[in-house]
Formats: sequence, structure tokens, C-alpha cells
Amino acid sequence: MTTALVTHPASLTHVTPPGHPEQVARLEYVLAALEAERFADLRRETAPLVADDDLLRCHPLDYIQLIRDSVPDSGWRPLDADTHMSPGSLDASLRGAGANVKAAELVITGEAANAFAAVRPPGHHAERATAMGFCFFGNVSIAAKNALDHHGLGRVAILDFDVHHGNGTQDLVEEDARIFFASSHQMPLYPGTGAAHETGAHDNVLNVPLAPGTGSSGFRRAWQDQILPACADFRPDMVFVSAGFDAHRADPLANLELTEDDFAWVTRAICDLADDTADGRVVSTLEGGYDLSALAASTAAHVAVLMERGA
Amino acid sequence: MTDTTGEQSPVSEMSFEDAMRELERVVSQLEAGDVALAESIRLYERGAELKAQCDKLLRAAEEKVAQIVANEAGEATGTKPVEGL
Repeated sequence: MTTALVTHPASLTHVTPPGHPEQVARLEYVLAALEAERFADLRRETAPLVADDDLLRCHPLDYIQLIRDSVPDSGWRPLDADTHMSPGSLDASLRGAGANVKAAELVITGEAANAFAAVRPPGHHAERATAMGFCFFGNVSIAAKNALDHHGLGRVAILDFDVHHGNGTQDLVEEDARIFFASSHQMPLYPGTGAAHETGAHDNVLNVPLAPGTGSSGFRRAWQDQILPACADFRPDMVFVSAGFDAHRADPLANLELTEDDFAWVTRAICDLADDTADGRVVSTLEGGYDLSALAASTAAHVAVLMERGA
Repeated sequence: MTDTTGEQSPVSEMSFEDAMRELERVVSQLEAGDVALAESIRLYERGAELKAQCDKLLRAAEEKVAQIVANEAGEATGTKPVEGL
């Protein structure tokens, strides 16, 4: 068995305005890092376009149509202050969601032990009918619901260590008792949600806000003492990961103090949990991370652990 | 991207009242999610500066506060430092 890497060149055609932090170079840096010799055994897969049925599990038809209709012929069309569509953005978004579905399918069918979807735009801020925070579709939630509805899994977890709260994921799954969603994130910070009292319709949401300046020990304590035990109690059949690397100390958009070692640590801890309850099935996807070098190094640390555990 | 914070005065020149008023505005914007992702960190950092300015001015004011000492007839005769501030 092996670790699958799912991506698509279309992810590089979602172009943001000059100076925008969610830039094409992010994925170029990540993919370059994953070309190193130690990643030679990754099973490299091309992301398909997401199926309409899968999109509709998370987003209403009129919203999907709005996104399809918002593609400009040239330049950009802003959907909010952060979130812009370029001519290539629709294809990139549909492949981004498709990459997550494909990654999950490879793991469910046993073709890969675990998987990482290296795509952009990210997805965890996209709500049912709102594009925001650089996101258009809820990539990870779309894959999670596909795993439940189409592949017959009973319950899945989505764990989010991006420095920003995954408000979109929460919006898409908080009423679904088959999905456990947990997020650690800096607070106060965008998008302002993610307080500890937000627990979902079925107590299936766990938010662990972290104070600005939190470093390795505070982050690890949050996961060790709160998120991992709650997720273990839920006994998921599969664990999805919203892997944002913007809690890194070098990141320009936040004030947490993590390093690559912390991302490797949390990846190992998630794999341990998945070994106990989910036959080791972990499907991870790229969310944020805006310092190019820190992003590349952190993603490499994350994928290296997935490979070590998937071997 | 939109600069949601607009024209800003240097925090170090702000009065306590002005810094506090802007800090309250910053906190409510952050709590309401009423700010773009890319600007959110700048707003948070502005808030941290404002808080530090408020703390500094408060400390300076505390140092100036002194208790008025009165004689038996109730007339002010001088001051002494206040404890417990």
C-alpha cells in the first residue's frame, strides 16, 4: 500500500490578483517540495472534475449556477473582499473538490492507505451558499458526504488544524450526526466564528480556539487533551484532514508559533487515531498556508508522515 | 483586497479615550467576522497596539493618582500615594 497524491494542473489556473496571499506560487512550492527523492513512492493521481451529485450534497443548485456564471472572460470577478474568480477558477474549483472525492475513493477501495489532495483554491471557508475566505466549494465536506452516501461508510471525522476556523465545513456538516468536525484555530481572527460554545446540532462539532501567540505546547495540548479524545469517542470509519499550514510561526496572516515539527506531530497523532478506529484511513487536503517556504516545508513534513504510516 | 481599517492615526499619539473607542470597534469587527481574511491579521495587530497604548496610559494615570490628605478640620494638607492600584 502507499500514499496517494491527488492534484491537477488546473489548480494552477486559479489566478488571484497581484499581492493576494492565496497565490499560484503556493501550490507550485508545495508540488516542487513533493518532487524530492523521498517522495518518489507517492502514487500520483490526476483529479477529476467533481460530479454534480457530489456538489449538490453540500451546495444548492442556484449557488453552483452562480459560481458557474461568475467566471470572467479575463481579469477577475470578486465575490467578496478576499475571493476572486479568474477565467481558470471554475475548473480549478471543480477539480479541487474532485481531488478530495478521488483521494477518499482511493483509500476506501484500498488502492491507497491514505492520501493527500494538493489543490487550490482551498475549501473550508465556503458555506452552503456563500463563497468566502478564498474558497468556493467545501472540498473536504463534499468528499466526506460522498464517502457516507455513496460508499456506505457509517461515520466520518473532519479534523481541521488551519489557523482560521473552518466555518464553511461547520456550516456544511453541523446538522449531520454522521460527521464529527473539530477545529483548532486562532481567536480572535477571521472569520470570527469557532467559539467553544459552537457544538453542532448533535454535539458533533468541537471548536478549540487558541490565543494569539500559542506555540507548540498549547497546540499539542489542545489536540492531545480535547480534539483527539473526542474524535476517538466518535469512532469514525475514516478521518479527513483540513491541512492548513498557516499556524506556522512564519505565516504572515496569523500569530501562532508552530513549526514543521508540530505539523508532523499532529499528523502522527491523527494517524494513530485512525489506526485505532478507521483502519488507518486518512484523507488530507491542503487548505491555507501563506509563507511559501514554511508552507512547502510543512506540507512535506505532513506528507512524509502519511507515507511513513501508509507504507 | 479592501483595506477595511481605512486612514489610521499613529497609536502612540492617541488619547486613552480614542484608543479605547477604536479598540472596541476592532474587537466587534473581529467578533462579527466583519473583515476580509487577508486584512484580519492587520486588524488584530492594530487591536493589540491599541490595547498596549490603553495599558500604558492607564499605568501612567495610576502613577499620578494620589490620595488627598486632610487635617482634622477637613482641610487638604497634601497628598500620599494610593495603595492597591
